[in-house]
Amino acid sequence: MRVLLVEDEIRLAENIASALREGPGLAVDCAEDGEMGLDLAGNLCYDLIILDLMLPKIDGLSLLRLLRGRGDRTAVLILTAKGGHSSIVELLNAGADDYLSKPFDLGELIARAKALIRRGKGNADPTLRISDVVVNTVEQTVSRGEECIELSPTEYRILEYLMHRPRVVVSKRELLEHLYDYNWEHHSNVIEAHVSNLRKKLDGTSRQPSIETLRGRGYRLLVGREESQ
Amino acid sequence: MKSYSLTRRLVITVLLVQLVSAVSIAGSAVAYERHTHFRSFDIMLRGRADSLLGAVQDAEDAADNVMLDGTEVSLPTEDIYEVVDENKRLLGQSGNWTGLDAPHSSLKDGSFFKLRLSGKHYRVLKIAGLRMVDPGDKGGGIPRRVTVIYGSPTESVWRAVWGTVAFYAMTSLALLAISGLLMFWLLNQGLAPLRELAAEAAGVSVHSWNFVPSEKVRMTKELAPLAGALAAVLHGLERSFMQQRQFVSDAAHELKTSVAVVKSSLQLLSMKRRTVREYEAGLERAYLDCERMEQIVARMLTLARVESDLESNVGLSTTDMTHSVELVMEQFETMANVKSLQLIVSSPGEVAVKVAPEELRLLCSNLILNAMQHSPSGSAVRAVVRRNGLTAELCVEDRGAGISPEALPHIFDRFYRGDPSRSRDTGGTGLGLAICKAIVSKFEGDIQIASTVNVGTTVTVHFPLDAA
Repeated sequence: MRVLLVEDEIRLAENIASALREGPGLAVDCAEDGEMGLDLAGNLCYDLIILDLMLPKIDGLSLLRLLRGRGDRTAVLILTAKGGHSSIVELLNAGADDYLSKPFDLGELIARAKALIRRGKGNADPTLRISDVVVNTVEQTVSRGEECIELSPTEYRILEYLMHRPRVVVSKRELLEHLYDYNWEHHSNVIEAHVSNLRKKLDGTSRQPSIETLRGRGYRLLVGREESQ
Repeated sequence: MKSYSLTRRLVITVLLVQLVSAVSIAGSAVAYERHTHFRSFDIMLRGRADSLLGAVQDAEDAADNVMLDGTEVSLPTEDIYEVVDENKRLLGQSGNWTGLDAPHSSLKDGSFFKLRLSGKHYRVLKIAGLRMVDPGDKGGGIPRRVTVIYGSPTESVWRAVWGTVAFYAMTSLALLAISGLLMFWLLNQGLAPLRELAAEAAGVSVHSWNFVPSEKVRMTKELAPLAGALAAVLHGLERSFMQQRQFVSDAAHELKTSVAVVKSSLQLLSMKRRTVREYEAGLERAYLDCERMEQIVARMLTLARVESDLESNVGLSTTDMTHSVELVMEQFETMANVKSLQLIVSSPGEVAVKVAPEELRLLCSNLILNAMQHSPSGSAVRAVVRRNGLTAELCVEDRGAGISPEALPHIFDRFYRGDPSRSRDTGGTGLGLAICKAIVSKFEGDIQIASTVNVGTTVTVHFPLDAA
């Protein structure tokens, strides 16, 4: 999952980005002002936008309105240092999904960010279940049947993303866009290697392949086909 | 103090004035009516007395006496009279009277006097007449001196007088009542704009500064200045209230953000177990974050102090601008050496300005520090002091990266930071230039900034010269 953080207070942006990377393992891009935020959001590869209100060039509320105006459906979490209910109502009515008042708790920010991402993918339960594969997004643990499966952070992120989009073909490009921030070199063969490892760990020895590779198109999570047949 | 109604007070005042005039009118009416009535009464008395005199005739007796022939005159029955001849002999008397008790010879002829008889007031006239008896005789008859005392009750006269006065009084009272009611109504109507103004003013609060007097109020000559003054005061209050609110809101934003930085730094550090080196680095960062917060608080307090004692020491102190600049330059010498910056001062000697010394030094140090922070290593920061007519001018120039044209109009705004990435390096709080602006406004000067990207920035300050 990839997050766009628009915050002009650089020290705060650094701390939030580190926390989101270290905690739920999100990819985070930072923008220092509204203009840069608008540009980056235009890539449409974000699962969540965290927006400060007081920003140079374009302020947070205007940026939010611009985003919603051009049809961007990405969940937006507002960071505000301003009190008062009217401004919060105004924010939510402008298309914000949630807000946090500064100074906030980093743990709460992470939990809210995850909840918004989950909702954005159409899920309510933080535990994702497809057939016998269970991904606990809070603990970041994976099990299949009775068996716990140890995954590397990248493998976990790939699986979580696929779990949010079952039975849909997910291209390598989509995976790259949603799992890495722009500081990373994009190499599709890195993805291939990770998917291959993930598949091995998930399937063990006996079961049917859980992740299908469609050459030139991408990957598809196939868990559950056994039962439906 | 007890509250009172303007309308009631005005009505009562006017009614009192009216009452006083009504009473004096009634008083004069009494005097006038009495005067006129008694004049005609006196004429009537004289007429009746004369006719009585005319009734004195020769008694046709040997003693050559005279007598009163009452049959020839008809007199009102309530009148009293007495006719006496020169020998004090009573010639005739009205039936209801027994004559004067006291001798009336002392009374002058033709004089009037008052008399009270069986409860009635009479006005009595005494005339001495010469009656020619037997005018047919040779020599024109015998003149006989006769004194007539004639009185008539004054009751009817007084009744007439009091009747007139009562009419005046009743009319006045009625008029008083009518005018009172009318005035009450008119005043209520007339004071409507005042009530409107009061209602409008009562509607003003910190949440709604809207004060628009109605057309009626603005067209009322007496209220227009009040409404105008109120509007002006409210406008000023609203502006300063909004400024204060904006400042508090901005300050809260800055402080909350600073706290958020410190808090998140510490929370990030405790999110998981880390190496000693990581903890050390994290603590170092948290310490720096705290220092920045401290700086913001200090700057905010400085700004509040500069703004709070507005005009208290304006125009009282005089400071040499050149000396202030040199002091500040001296203070920054070490820092300039570290950054290998050249500090240049040029001045025509002492330039006295009407600014408090601490504030002038604060202004100079803010401007020069700003210039130094934005100067590339090896360049020069120049401070030029000049006299320019009646003003003193201070220019601080740097050869830094300059300020973008979009940022330039906001550069004096509180908490404004032109370039967020740069403010991290320089540790700016976004208050330095706001403090400068506050000092300049306080001492009736002006401040301008000119900047070209990649060429440099020049800040120019003007202050009134101290004439003395």
